[in-house]
Amino acid sequence: MSTVLRMTQVTKTYGGGDAAVHALDDVDFNIEAGEVVVVMGPSGAGKTTFLTIAGALLTPTSGTVEISGVNITALSEKELPDVRRERIGFVFQSFNLLEALSAIENVTLVMTEGSPKSRGAVNRASELMNMLGLGHRLKSLPRNLSGGEKQRVAIARALANNPDLILADEPTANLDSKRGREVMQLLRQIAFEMHKAVVIVSHDHRTREIASRIAWLEDGTFRPDVATDRDPVCQRVVEVQGSPAFSYESRSYYFCSTQCLELFKADPAQQLAGKRQ
Amino acid sequence: MLLVARKNLFSEWTRLVISVGGVALSVFLISLLLSLYRGWDEKVGGFVEHSNVDLWLGSEGAEDFLTAASLLPTEGKEAEQAKEYLNAYPSIDQWSPMIVRLMQGVRVDRISATEEKIGSKIDIHFIGFDPNTRLGGPIEVIEGRDTPGPGEVIIDEKLGDRHGIGIGDTLRAGGRDWTVVGKSRGGDFIATQTVFVSHAEAQAALRMQGATTFYVIKVRQGVDPAQLGAALEDQAARNEAPIVTHTREEFAKSTRDRVTSNVLPILFVVLGLAFIVGVSVAGLTIYTATIEKAREYGILKAVGFRNTYLYRVVFEQSAVTALLGFAVGIGLTVGIGPFASDYVPQFVLFTRWQDVLLVAGVTVVMALIAAYIPVRRLGAIDPVSVFKG
Ligand SMILES: Nc1ncnc2c1ncn2[C@@H]1O[C@H](COP(=O)(O)OP(=O)(O)O)[C@@H](O)[C@H]1O
Ligand SMILES: [Mg+2]
Repeated sequence: MSTVLRMTQVTKTYGGGDAAVHALDDVDFNIEAGEVVVVMGPSGAGKTTFLTIAGALLTPTSGTVEISGVNITALSEKELPDVRRERIGFVFQSFNLLEALSAIENVTLVMTEGSPKSRGAVNRASELMNMLGLGHRLKSLPRNLSGGEKQRVAIARALANNPDLILADEPTANLDSKRGREVMQLLRQIAFEMHKAVVIVSHDHRTREIASRIAWLEDGTFRPDVATDRDPVCQRVVEVQGSPAFSYESRSYYFCSTQCLELFKADPAQQLAGKRQ
Repeated sequence: MLLVARKNLFSEWTRLVISVGGVALSVFLISLLLSLYRGWDEKVGGFVEHSNVDLWLGSEGAEDFLTAASLLPTEGKEAEQAKEYLNAYPSIDQWSPMIVRLMQGVRVDRISATEEKIGSKIDIHFIGFDPNTRLGGPIEVIEGRDTPGPGEVIIDEKLGDRHGIGIGDTLRAGGRDWTVVGKSRGGDFIATQTVFVSHAEAQAALRMQGATTFYVIKVRQGVDPAQLGAALEDQAARNEAPIVTHTREEFAKSTRDRVTSNVLPILFVVLGLAFIVGVSVAGLTIYTATIEKAREYGILKAVGFRNTYLYRVVFEQSAVTALLGFAVGIGLTVGIGPFASDYVPQFVLFTRWQDVLLVAGVTVVMALIAAYIPVRRLGAIDPVSVFKG
């Protein structure tokens, strides 16, 4: 598997002197293609800081950030917009569509910069939007779309340039529970079927359902004691600490119970194949 | 035009109308004032420019046609000497005396032998010309007779239009009543118009026997009037009867300057104000539009658009606003140009393409300034802000 985002010893300090805030403190983080990692933690823990550094919007005080093998901390400020446009898809809490543009224009814009009308861009955008169930909404203005539809347009925009990494900040916070669940399922599908690395910052405990792993951020550090992984048999998210574990093909798997562990041990290949479906 | 710029601009019609209206008003004012200036310039200098006189000869201090501040003798020893000299001078084709006097006249309607109705006062340039040479006479006679006899005048068509005077009517000026026998074109100085009588009649009516305002000269083919003028000035100086001479171009220019030198400073102030109006309205609407959309510009930054792209978006909006405003403003000026003086006689508009280009340039500057302040704000927008709420 390929590591899409690798953050090594990342520290971010806002301000200086007595007023200095260590929003991130020596953080390591990796995510691979096909994974969904949900970052949780209390307010002020550093989640937004983490996401904006991962998203090449903010440069860390120290440490390195690699996206698809490119060390973006070595790039100049001027080169970062291209990294964001080509390698990262953003999904925001408040959708952040451009109000004067139709749904499909919001998507094609990031592909063509909105200068000449590109057939290819329009085709790809409508394909993506059809896939996301927005085929009948291509020409609608954002103000005529429901929250769920808006977020799906935003997801289409995030996918437009076929990035390896999707970063979502509280993507369900402005949605009712049904729409929220739909959006989460979509993000999960995107990771598994389109083989993207999806990082979701969320307070929403339902995101556990779709997470490959949950990372707890508190006071600017990930807490290993609440590191989690998904039980490959029953698909529950389990805390790594204290759970039954088993190594297979140089990766550790964690289980909710010894029953699941035994099932896995019996035929790991088949269990993992089941998870992929 | 970039998609975002186009959509932002045309999705809000009220704002678009206001900003285009602001630029249009400004362009209209600027082009109108310029056209008015050109129109006046053209009219005021036009008579001297189009007349058949190549060289104007006046007493010292006579610098322009409008004031006609000159007095020269036509009789006596000095005059005889001068006439002989002019007649003998090889490069002179023709010469004549010419009287020009700024005065007021009135239209008179005789109701009966004892009763008459007096019209409103009319400012005129009363001209006496020599009917034999026609030097300094009407530029083009368009109606009636081309040579006024005793007690007869030819009036400028604009004077006729403005005051309702036609052929056969009576004009009282210079202490006499004159019968209008013809109408001419090209003698409109906006504030005054020409009225032509014969030189002898002018001398008699104005009690200028033995005197004239100018001597006007037509040179032979190929002769440089400026050189002739210098030679005549030298000769007159030697005779201790100093005179000044002006070529057609000099005289037209100084005549124009007499009017425009006073108007120009005011014109520049008003042009400047009109420019400020345009920049302010366009700048403010574009600025508020940009501020209102600050979050969207932040979104664009977040998803990977560069600052230069955002600058372009704002500049294109500003440029298209300016272009539309320019079209409307110039359209108004060009549209009303031919009819304006029918309603207000002083509104003589002459729109030159050079001035249209100039106004276009001014509009571009307006667009640049209007875009500059919002563009500076764009640079400061933090894309991280779009992660909030
Ligand atoms: N631009 C900033 N300047 C100064 N301090 C900041 C800034 N952004 C965030 N912080 C501080 O850094 C810490 C982490 O913030 P943030 O990453 O927004 O946490 P979260 O998203 O988990 O609520 C908080 O204490 C916050 O006050
Ligand atoms: Mg936050």
